[in-house]
Amino acid sequence: MDLNLSAEQTILVESARELLGRRSPLAAVRALEAAGRGFDRELWREVARLGWVGLTLPSEGGHFDLLDVALLADEMGRALFPSPFVPTVAMGAWLIDAFGDEEQRRRWLPRLATGELAVTVALAEPGARSLWDPPGLAIAGGRLSGRKLFVPFAAEADLVLVAVAGPAVVAVEREASGLVCTRHDALGGEPLYALAFESVSCEPVAAHPTALPRALDRGAVATLAYLAGACERVLEMSVAHARMREQFGRPIGSFQAIAHRCVDMRSDVDALRVLVHQAAWCLAAGEAADVAVASALAYGLEAVRRILRHAHQVHGAIGFSMEYDLQLFTRRMKAAELGWGPAALYHECVARAMGLG
Amino acid sequence: MNFAFSEDEQKFRTELRAFLASELPSWWRGMFVDDPRAMPFTRAFSRKLAERGWLTMAWPKEWGGAEASPWKQAILREEMWAHDEPRGPQYMNLNYIGPCILRFGSEAQKRRFLPPMAAGDVLWTQGFSEPGAGSDLAAVATRAEPSTDGFVVNGQKIWNSYADAPAEWCFLLARTSVAAKRHHGLSVLLVDMRTAGVDVRPIDSMAGPHELNEIFFEDVAVPRDCLLGEAGQGWEIVTAGLTFERVGIARYARAGRVIELLVEHAGATGLAGDSEVRSKLARLRVQYEAARLLNYRAISLQAAGRVPAVEASIARLHNTQLEQQVSDVGLEILGLAGQLTADDPAAPLTGLLHRQWVRTIPTTITAGTLEVQKNIIAERGLGLPRAR
Repeated sequence: MDLNLSAEQTILVESARELLGRRSPLAAVRALEAAGRGFDRELWREVARLGWVGLTLPSEGGHFDLLDVALLADEMGRALFPSPFVPTVAMGAWLIDAFGDEEQRRRWLPRLATGELAVTVALAEPGARSLWDPPGLAIAGGRLSGRKLFVPFAAEADLVLVAVAGPAVVAVEREASGLVCTRHDALGGEPLYALAFESVSCEPVAAHPTALPRALDRGAVATLAYLAGACERVLEMSVAHARMREQFGRPIGSFQAIAHRCVDMRSDVDALRVLVHQAAWCLAAGEAADVAVASALAYGLEAVRRILRHAHQVHGAIGFSMEYDLQLFTRRMKAAELGWGPAALYHECVARAMGLG
Repeated sequence: MNFAFSEDEQKFRTELRAFLASELPSWWRGMFVDDPRAMPFTRAFSRKLAERGWLTMAWPKEWGGAEASPWKQAILREEMWAHDEPRGPQYMNLNYIGPCILRFGSEAQKRRFLPPMAAGDVLWTQGFSEPGAGSDLAAVATRAEPSTDGFVVNGQKIWNSYADAPAEWCFLLARTSVAAKRHHGLSVLLVDMRTAGVDVRPIDSMAGPHELNEIFFEDVAVPRDCLLGEAGQGWEIVTAGLTFERVGIARYARAGRVIELLVEHAGATGLAGDSEVRSKLARLRVQYEAARLLNYRAISLQAAGRVPAVEASIARLHNTQLEQQVSDVGLEILGLAGQLTADDPAAPLTGLLHRQWVRTIPTTITAGTLEVQKNIIAERGLGLPRAR
């Protein structure tokens, strides 16, 4: 048992914080949103050159695992770095590497690792309450028809991995004919799309029954790590505000009602983070991960809500003004929470795993 | 990072469980029960642990310890707390009174006080709170007036656990100087409870016998060699002691055990199919997981040679609230029968939840209230201005 970061992990985290702080300030995040874009492809190639995109792919020189993916995602959350990191690295790279055939791996992985091939994952279908609802899309004669919703970055991706009945996963080229991509008008600001497939050519990637659920576990844990980083930044903003803002002749942070909200945030972020690390470690180590993953999600998705409420109470009206960055964090974090929820789903997973039948 | 125990550590846990299974009598329900067998049992049990080298396994070898890794210590604490802490009051000696003497004591004090603790042969009580000094502990008014050969103590302490057990020694925080600023006038005295002028009066409490006492000191002579550290160092010693104490109690392990028993109960009674019950038990299990890992984070820092001050306070927030939620939800799941005590033959789980609920009322109060913990985290962890 050891919950400390290794020296190598510390370097990874510190270099990520430095680079993202310099190359992806919040002004840049806002500019992308204003331009209706999902991510900056130039910057994505730049972080790929640092090895962040191929970090779990031995064929591309990567020697890290999902825990390191979570550590990077945490730093990305801190910066609200807009990128297809979760679908491409946590999910897509793993699906292709673990289940794709030799030719697919040779065709996709080198380009994925250099940032040339951005991958997204199409999961939810009309009527789905969560990403975990079993996919119903069927393939006929090697062609795919039907609709997928809430697909992140789809317009800017190059390859779409689609969950289909089985469950199985097939790949569709983003430019394939018969695929139409329409943007949702949603809360978060990071672009989500509805995809309509009409007899679109596709190729099988993974048919193993555990492939899709495990990919979902990985995506969920990486997203939660991203949320932990975002929560950390929201806490820092709240503490800075509580120290600076004066009312009744003293900093509001000297009032226990405010200070204790900040402490509750600290306590929730810390719990969320150790749970995420455990879940990522169990998945990476191939240990029984059900309780660890479900516990992290059950705790984390609710913690995010509490943390945002506290942050807004500490900030007062400035917190929801558009000029202040808390609104940006609030929208992105809420979108991620809703995207991977509801928490009740994970409580039920824990109940099953703890022996309640 | 690594979230698994080593084979050696797992083997140690198995040994401990076998030992507990053979040593714990069927009537054992913890020390705060109205059973005259309980307190003597904890002493006999502690001596047996001492014989196996498990009582003070965390201590340095020269003082009867085994210098066990922080993880083995954690496993020992988990197994003890999961089994209603059969070491009784000894856990205080091990967690912080002993470590404070190790850190601040003279060679002579170490020689005098540590071996009896290592043998499981002595009971200590803690003399911190006073009627006028609770959360504001630095307001301590009990006076230790310097005399020719030591100190003369006058004053009153309150909420002292085990003083009536009876404790032989008291780890006393008293004011040795009224001239110094209030934190600086405090000192720690190691007081023999058999000295003339010491009077212990038990306070009847919901939490059971031995939990609470008052101690009155009237012209109690304390020799100079019973001053721990320097005069005026009391605040530093007590702060260090409370930090040791925070990671020293594996409350999550007891909560985890109660959750397991509740799951068995739900399975046996058909409640496992009730979605409300499932969701509530799952929620407890998740909180347990968070509390356990936050303790492990603090222990990881210790294992790396660092002092987990804020991390220990955060772990404590989770542990104490987990214990209370487990008992609230547990009683709710038992329904009407939850109110039956262990003495009622119809009590489900032999009255465990009722006992747990009563015992966990003080957990967010003793050794620093939840609010005091939060003030500490706000100031030291977050850099917020001193709270009011």
